[in-house]
Amino acid sequence: MALETDGFAIPELAEEHRMVRDLVARFVERDLMPLEPAVLKRESEGGRYGLTPEEEAPLLARAKELGLYGLDVPEEFGGADLPVSALMAIEEEMGRTVTPFIFPPDSPNLHMLLAVANAEQRTKYLDPYARGEMRSSIAISEPGAGGDPAGMTTRAVKDGDHWVINGRKIWVSGVPRADFIILMARTGEGKRQEGVTAFIVERGTPGFVIEREIPMIGGRRTYELVFEDCRVHERQILGQLGAGYAPMQLRLNVRRLQMGARCTGMARRALEMLCEQAKNRTTFGVRLADRQAIQWWIAEAATKIHITRLMVRDAAAKMSAGQDVRTEASMLKVHATEMAQEVLDNAMQTFGAMGMTKELPLQLMAAQVRVQRIYEGPSEVHRMAIARRFLKERG
Amino acid sequence: MKLLVPVKRVVDYNVKVRVKADHTGVETANVKMSMNPFDEIAVEEAVRLKEKGAATEIIAVSAGPTACQEQIRTALAMGADRGILIEHDGILEPLAVAKLLKAVIAKESPDLVILGKQAIDDDMNATGQMLAALLGWPQGTYASKVEPADGGIKVTREVDGGLERLQLKLPAIVTTDLRLNEPRYASLPNIMKARKKPIETLKPADLGVDVSPRLTVLKVEEPPKRQAGKKVGSVQELVEKLRNEAKVI
Repeated sequence: MALETDGFAIPELAEEHRMVRDLVARFVERDLMPLEPAVLKRESEGGRYGLTPEEEAPLLARAKELGLYGLDVPEEFGGADLPVSALMAIEEEMGRTVTPFIFPPDSPNLHMLLAVANAEQRTKYLDPYARGEMRSSIAISEPGAGGDPAGMTTRAVKDGDHWVINGRKIWVSGVPRADFIILMARTGEGKRQEGVTAFIVERGTPGFVIEREIPMIGGRRTYELVFEDCRVHERQILGQLGAGYAPMQLRLNVRRLQMGARCTGMARRALEMLCEQAKNRTTFGVRLADRQAIQWWIAEAATKIHITRLMVRDAAAKMSAGQDVRTEASMLKVHATEMAQEVLDNAMQTFGAMGMTKELPLQLMAAQVRVQRIYEGPSEVHRMAIARRFLKERG
Repeated sequence: MKLLVPVKRVVDYNVKVRVKADHTGVETANVKMSMNPFDEIAVEEAVRLKEKGAATEIIAVSAGPTACQEQIRTALAMGADRGILIEHDGILEPLAVAKLLKAVIAKESPDLVILGKQAIDDDMNATGQMLAALLGWPQGTYASKVEPADGGIKVTREVDGGLERLQLKLPAIVTTDLRLNEPRYASLPNIMKARKKPIETLKPADLGVDVSPRLTVLKVEEPPKRQAGKKVGSVQELVEKLRNEAKVI
């Protein structure tokens, strides 16, 4: 790690990790981006935002052939075990396209499972999940209780060697494709996160009902789930009884860093498109690229993209070193999403009417970033968390 | 069969090349650098020959600054077995590179050298041919197909008006053209394996080669800006303009 003269450390990627990032960059440009017109067309015509099985299968095969499976999975599970900084560089490249594709497995739940799954759960869930053969989602929010665990009312009650779960969860993504979900439920007393337990609930467990599908802006869909006397065996408890919240936080930090990296990628794509358009388009006899308003957007965007990437790199290095990155993750969550929103908006403005069409990926990215300012904690909550931690540290 | 694949570090093909402010060359500071695409094709062909069982070892060699290690590492990740870096800061002309390669060949005795027909930076298209001349080896340039045959190698070349097929005796030099193959992406496990493959570092002096430039660059300039086109209303107008304005008919 090279130290700058002012004492800041800018952690560099190792050579092999730069090569992996470049490999992913190629995959994005040659394999994912060409699918964008089809993806955008389907979505704009009211169809599903996603890849058809025919489109996805060769991509999965290609990813497997290139060894891009289990990027953050430990070597003992057959994964590549890349450090967080390399994973984030990959995430940034993936952010450049709206073609929805994830190198299996989707990592945030992996970290939670790795931290607390017992031997039996490792064999049954973690192994196939790490191999990319199982999918999962996580159910935290409830109607009327979003980021605040104090309002959580879904309750599990012990009945012999089983637990009976009753309650309602909302904004859960990826449910139809999930083989199991991690469900947070109250098992004991406590005002906030005390007494909250994580359960692994398999799809198809009686009493686990998908109540409705909720279309979100940005093409995604989330689900509302109902649990009616849903009985799960006590061996389905993930981690310690009544202590499900802390390992879930682990998952959230990874997620927030990922969002920072993804936003950097989206903003890069927007800036590339903006520059291209600014050079080609002439209005009233002047190239857009020669107009100061546009130039300032470019300068701002380039600077902020650089800042965000450094923030990601910094948080990633700290996370790898085992440091607490809750503050950095919150800062990134706020800064990166707002930065990407601004750059995307300016790019759309540069494109004029064309920027308002559903033929360009910009509008879809903009809608997706809009969602990102809410999920995994709204910007305001993160600002509050940052400020409170600062105030506390300073007596 | 032992293969030697020289690879050059060049400005990435996606980068829009800019001339340095002092007109001494092109800007390479803070510019993405990659392996010359024709050399990538050469590495791919070598790896395919090895996969077919026709080759036993692939050595990737590069001459230039320390950073050329990155390109050697890319070749190793694609499937080369080991690397040689001839470290030198400053200009390396094709003749100097050919002499360096000749010295490496004297040490390593490869049966076949596969390299790009030219590098996309200066488009010299000379190193392969000079190397063949220095060694007195047969050469198959602009190869679009390479097959081991009758103890030698058969090279198909795309020439004006058709395909030319050459049967070369080994040892030989082959330079690659665009249609020879499509280079693979180095997979993640192979990138990690490449970390452990050895790269030997030499200096031109270790090889007894004088690499001082023989050519002097007077000035590097951008090509003149293209003028905007004109729209014409009719064939008559077009003919009139071609005759009187462009004066080409």
